[in-house]
Amino acid sequence: MAELTRTKQRILQEAVRENVETMSGRLPGRGRHRIGVAMRAARLFFFLTLPIAIFTTSYVVATVAGGRSGGVPESMLNRQPPLERQAAVARPAAAELVATSTPQLIDPAVFPVAVRKVVLDPGHGGTNLGTTNAGGLIEKELTLDIAHRLRELLESNAFHVVMTREGDAQLSLQKRALIANEKQGDIFVSIHVNWLVTRQIRGVETYFLGATDDPYLSALAARENQGSGYSLADLRGLIEEIYANARMGESRRLAEAVQRSLYRSLLERNPGLQDRGVKTAPFGVLTRTGMPAILAEVACLSNRQEAQLLMTASYRQFIAEALYEGINAYANGLNQRSQIGS
Amino acid sequence: MDDQGHEHNDDSNSESSGGKDDGILYVGIDLGTSRSAISTSNGVRKVVESYVGWPVDMVARKVLKHDIVIGKEALKLRPMLDMHRPLENGLMKEGSEKDAEAVRQLMKHLVMLGGAGGKGDGKKQVRAVVGVPAEALRVNKQQLRGALTGIVDSLMIVTEPFAVAYGLDALLHSLIIDIGAGTADFCVMNGRYPTDEDQRTLNSAGDAIDQILTKSVQEKHPEANFSEHMVREWKEAHSFVGEPPERIVVKAPVRGKPTKIDITDEMRNACESLVAPVAETMIDLIARVEPEYQDRIRHNVILSGGTSLTRGLSDRLQAILKEYGGGRVKVVDDPLFVGSDGGLAIAMDAPDSDWERLSSG
Repeated sequence: MAELTRTKQRILQEAVRENVETMSGRLPGRGRHRIGVAMRAARLFFFLTLPIAIFTTSYVVATVAGGRSGGVPESMLNRQPPLERQAAVARPAAAELVATSTPQLIDPAVFPVAVRKVVLDPGHGGTNLGTTNAGGLIEKELTLDIAHRLRELLESNAFHVVMTREGDAQLSLQKRALIANEKQGDIFVSIHVNWLVTRQIRGVETYFLGATDDPYLSALAARENQGSGYSLADLRGLIEEIYANARMGESRRLAEAVQRSLYRSLLERNPGLQDRGVKTAPFGVLTRTGMPAILAEVACLSNRQEAQLLMTASYRQFIAEALYEGINAYANGLNQRSQIGS
Repeated sequence: MDDQGHEHNDDSNSESSGGKDDGILYVGIDLGTSRSAISTSNGVRKVVESYVGWPVDMVARKVLKHDIVIGKEALKLRPMLDMHRPLENGLMKEGSEKDAEAVRQLMKHLVMLGGAGGKGDGKKQVRAVVGVPAEALRVNKQQLRGALTGIVDSLMIVTEPFAVAYGLDALLHSLIIDIGAGTADFCVMNGRYPTDEDQRTLNSAGDAIDQILTKSVQEKHPEANFSEHMVREWKEAHSFVGEPPERIVVKAPVRGKPTKIDITDEMRNACESLVAPVAETMIDLIARVEPEYQDRIRHNVILSGGTSLTRGLSDRLQAILKEYGGGRVKVVDDPLFVGSDGGLAIAMDAPDSDWERLSSG
């Protein structure tokens, strides 16, 4: 009886704490997640045994290669890489390279790199609600919830995580990028929930920065860029600058890994889910970040069935786990590419 | 507002009220999509149909003599009312101010029925515990908190199955399955406040059965006229899984003439639709518990909520558990009030200092 009373007192304290957190706008503390202890230990071992990497935040190096870089628009080939990236080139002929080079994607074997610090950006916040539905779901709440879950998974597996917002804060897109850059994140993952006019569609899609001729993508970018403060000219200039460095290539790889994981994992729980693929679009939040950056549309709130799934904590947890697996696959792939080359 | 005295009352039962007599009214509320129940420290227990209606025009207002009608009375008078069932899947509907106001009116009505500010009581301070679906988002809880501002003085929101577990002292090694109209809520109790991983919500519940039943009866008897309320009454009177205890024959008008129709097969099919998702979720949650405790939890599965009264459901779930080493599924004695009683028990047990932290003022 005394034990029951003690249990009740303890449980009541936890119930009150959760309510106080809800009242103050914070997300309640998370419980245990489903990644196994063994897996966590293995991951920790993996990171502890990594050779000490000469890590650089830059993924670009100017080379003396005379040929053009595949996939890079000709109009941008003569652009100089940003100064901070030039400084990061740690080879003897760096000065010469800077002076005479055309930008190319870095060979990952040049530097043994690793992903240690992940910047998570829950989309929207404050008065910027994002998309909403009649059932009371709000994009800013969903993205924050998923980001918290993802943070827990990443931190339990030896990643360091920076969040652009912890609660219901309103941040400009520039501020989000600024946080990512100041904290020297290795990768940047912006989490969003989609709304499609064709409401029968449910699907996941992942973006990295680039131009688009697709009116749908332009509209989507305009919606997600709302309040960015960037002019069209600013965005164009920023995108061109990013084309000229290898960050784009790494962003694409990261987007592919995350998209693959999102689709494969979620399809199991969400039959009818469409793989809407990896795409480029001029999202403002991806322009200023100095690291591989992606924007994941993890669900469609416009689809009734998917909205119902999003109401469940278990599905939001699946999304977080799928994102985690994608990030982890990218991180492992990056490391393997480094090791193969070394 | 009508006092709605003809709702289901149980004023004599005060089993949940304790010895606190501090001028404060403690209430536990099970806010349900179909019905909402309240248990108070005054010993009052009432249940109200979760319907709120406003007279459609001046004529209706003159006839009704009320600006708003709530509960069973609203159902009865629905042709004259702009009817709102303001809860969907156990949560406040979003998008309509009328629905938000309907939730406020429903809660106000419940709290008043519970004895707050009633004659002779003066205006008591009200401390309320309200149960919501297991996987309600924070935004849903904040909406509810907003709707209750000014109606209660302090508010604690807990998940419905947790309230049930607390009220039954089933806090350790138990699985609560609370099946209402809008949602089926699952909660594994491990001696701690349940986390997201311990809880699930399914939208397959009483309303889903109604929808399937409606569709299949319409297909089989296209000539019959019936409403969603009739279907709900049929279900509540005759729902079953497994072998039919008897043929289920109901009356529905066909071209204006009351006609008997047999809905046995349709009822079985509709009710059976609940079994697979509930069983799957039950097994999945148990499988996630640490192995040494799984057996104890399998033998302590508790069914509550109106839809748990479906005949044969507990036996079916128990039979399914046999394939996993056996277990016991028990339906609570008082599914209508077990959630609100649990909420009241929480309200009474929480210390004053905690209630002060949860004050809306």
